[in-house]
Amino acid sequence: VHVFGALIFEKHFVTQDAELCLPNLTNKNRSMYMQEVHKTDSVHTLRQKIERSHEIIEEAIQMFPEDQLCMAWTGGKDSTTMLWLYRSVCSKLGVRMPRAMFIDEGCVFEEIVALVDLVRNKWNIDVEILKNRDVSDKAEEIGSLIQVADLNERNRAELSKIGFTEDAFVFEPESFVGNHLMKTAVMNTFLIKNKIKALSTAIRWDEQTARNQEDYFSPRTDPPHTRVHPILHFTERDIWETIHEYDLPFCSLYVQGYRSLGAKGSTTKISDIPAWQQDLENTPERIGRGQDKEKIMEQLRSLGYM
Amino acid sequence: MVMRMKISPRTVLIGLDGVPHSLLLDLKKSGCIPNIAKILQNGFLGRMEVCIPEISSVSWTSFMTGKQPGEHGIYGFMDLKPGSYDLFFPNYTHLRVGTLWDDLATQCKQSVVINMPATYPARSINGALISGFVAIDLDKAVYPVSLAPYLRRLNYRIDIDTARARTDHSFLFRDLEETLDTRRRAVEYLWETIDWDMFCVVITGTDRLMHFLWTAYEDRSHPQHADFLNYFRTVDAFIGSIYERFTALDGYDPIPDKFYMISDHGFTAITSEVYLNAWLEQNNYLRFQRTPPRSIMDIGPGSKAFALDPSRIYINLKEKYPLGCVDGKDYEEIRHHIAQGLSNLTFDDGRPVMRKVYFKEELYFGPCLETAPDLVALSNHGFDLKGKVSSRTVFGKSDLSGMHTQDDAFFYSSSGAPCGSIYDAGKILFNGFFEPENEIKGPSLGT
Repeated sequence: VHVFGALIFEKHFVTQDAELCLPNLTNKNRSMYMQEVHKTDSVHTLRQKIERSHEIIEEAIQMFPEDQLCMAWTGGKDSTTMLWLYRSVCSKLGVRMPRAMFIDEGCVFEEIVALVDLVRNKWNIDVEILKNRDVSDKAEEIGSLIQVADLNERNRAELSKIGFTEDAFVFEPESFVGNHLMKTAVMNTFLIKNKIKALSTAIRWDEQTARNQEDYFSPRTDPPHTRVHPILHFTERDIWETIHEYDLPFCSLYVQGYRSLGAKGSTTKISDIPAWQQDLENTPERIGRGQDKEKIMEQLRSLGYM
Repeated sequence: MVMRMKISPRTVLIGLDGVPHSLLLDLKKSGCIPNIAKILQNGFLGRMEVCIPEISSVSWTSFMTGKQPGEHGIYGFMDLKPGSYDLFFPNYTHLRVGTLWDDLATQCKQSVVINMPATYPARSINGALISGFVAIDLDKAVYPVSLAPYLRRLNYRIDIDTARARTDHSFLFRDLEETLDTRRRAVEYLWETIDWDMFCVVITGTDRLMHFLWTAYEDRSHPQHADFLNYFRTVDAFIGSIYERFTALDGYDPIPDKFYMISDHGFTAITSEVYLNAWLEQNNYLRFQRTPPRSIMDIGPGSKAFALDPSRIYINLKEKYPLGCVDGKDYEEIRHHIAQGLSNLTFDDGRPVMRKVYFKEELYFGPCLETAPDLVALSNHGFDLKGKVSSRTVFGKSDLSGMHTQDDAFFYSSSGAPCGSIYDAGKILFNGFFEPENEIKGPSLGT
């Protein structure tokens, strides 16, 4: 107990020290600095990584009022682990857990719905299910045609914001238009309506190259809010070790071999062995999500091709 | 840091994606690019023509191979899987011909190539390669792979976040600066750690900026006019620092050691986008099975032709495509009709849209002619041709304000060697290594 306490004290001290230095650093420097800390600060063991996440979460809870902090929960392994980390910190501090938001993009795996139900009951999570019904109600199924004129003003404004000028589009959650309306727009509406100042998401540095530059606290402009990323320093392997060591609930799709979960129609499994038994270090985590081609097309679209 | 064993000749190439010859002259005149202006005082600077279609993947591939698409096989960012309407990404491993750095390797010369478009996934090189646009996964974008962890520590960025930058312009400028800054750090690292003979780096941010905010350049009262010029100041400082390192190399000699700058196409303002598939539909050459179509895969029976980005037109031949309906004997007639019809297309104000509609054999020859588009259109400045399928009208606008030009790229050589076509640029670089030292060809035209 004594050793454990000393460790916490020491960690806390380091954080305090780091806090004092941070305001003078630019965002980019801060990121490098945090990664330096991450590297040199011997945050090697799982316990230390969890401790670091606890510190970030505690900082977030102290920085933002409870009703203005929200956790983004997808039902996947990362965000469920993040919820568990919040739960530990809140119980230590004796405060209420921030609410969670879950985006139903119109094509959710039944197994994810089951996991979300299980966890919300088990941990008593206040979860808001967000769905852009104005769009989804007009589509009988994936692939249905939706007339822009039938949508409400808010959705029409979102379409013109992304430069979409056609009369109709096909309902598909992971297409450019679909993703924007069913995920981005619905989330932004929620953030604005509830005056959310901080949204905590479970992205990790090792997940994608594009995430390398993320910080634990990262400002966003539209709408203005802070993104809190408490598990940036976790690797995919760390997540599974945490889940198994602390016996956390997880979605049954991972047992079937899915590595990373997206919309039902566009996520495939690349192996039949459980996710955590796959070669995590040498194969890409998001390979089952039609990544390269889809991403290439996204990038091309953003430059006006396709 | 390596002990520098190499003696001359050494070559540096800076690629400036999309920078028009005309813009370079204008920025030079207005004093925005003092370092580049100083470099341009000696050597040759001229306007250069590029390939058709005039897009980065085709153009840079033409540069690095010294070949045209009929030989290298890259006709666009995406192409059709044989015998289908399904698109695939013709990547660097599909490239069947050697590159400038492959040729240099046969002469035991090492190359460092940073951010070269159309080199993803990276393949082996004598030296080091970091792929440029379109490149998704950093681990697959570097050779040797041992470079990846280092680049990750630098927060190296392949490209800006184009999806966000397209609409969020304050983010655009921040992201452009940050991305160039990580590029600079990768340059500094590889400059010192590899004993290179050729050092190549491409800046892509210029193309991004001009797509999104060309109007900010043309319109002096535009709120982002100063930001636009400032980015070019940053690019100028970047090039200035490389040039300074270059001339400070051990044993630097301006005759055998050569400095080049090129672009892969030019830019101009968009008057209107032109949707070729909508034109084909309205002229009864094309119909889709669903409205709106999601991709060319939704093509319907009875279609005689279809278009792919940006300006490629394919005749829907019976033996070639699943829903092909055009007999071989009717091929020429339909091709001529479409070429004729498109050539006569005019904008609202009566201006002709097309400069010329080419038959494939006018542009391409070689083993990859089979996969070439049957017709390729080249538009007049201002008319941005698009292969998008979902537009019901032939003309339209988007939030993009700049488009590529084919006849206004630039070429600069410190040696004075002239070059008017992108197909020759790679050869000039290669030959530059093996010239008798005192013989410099070409007059200095110094425009």
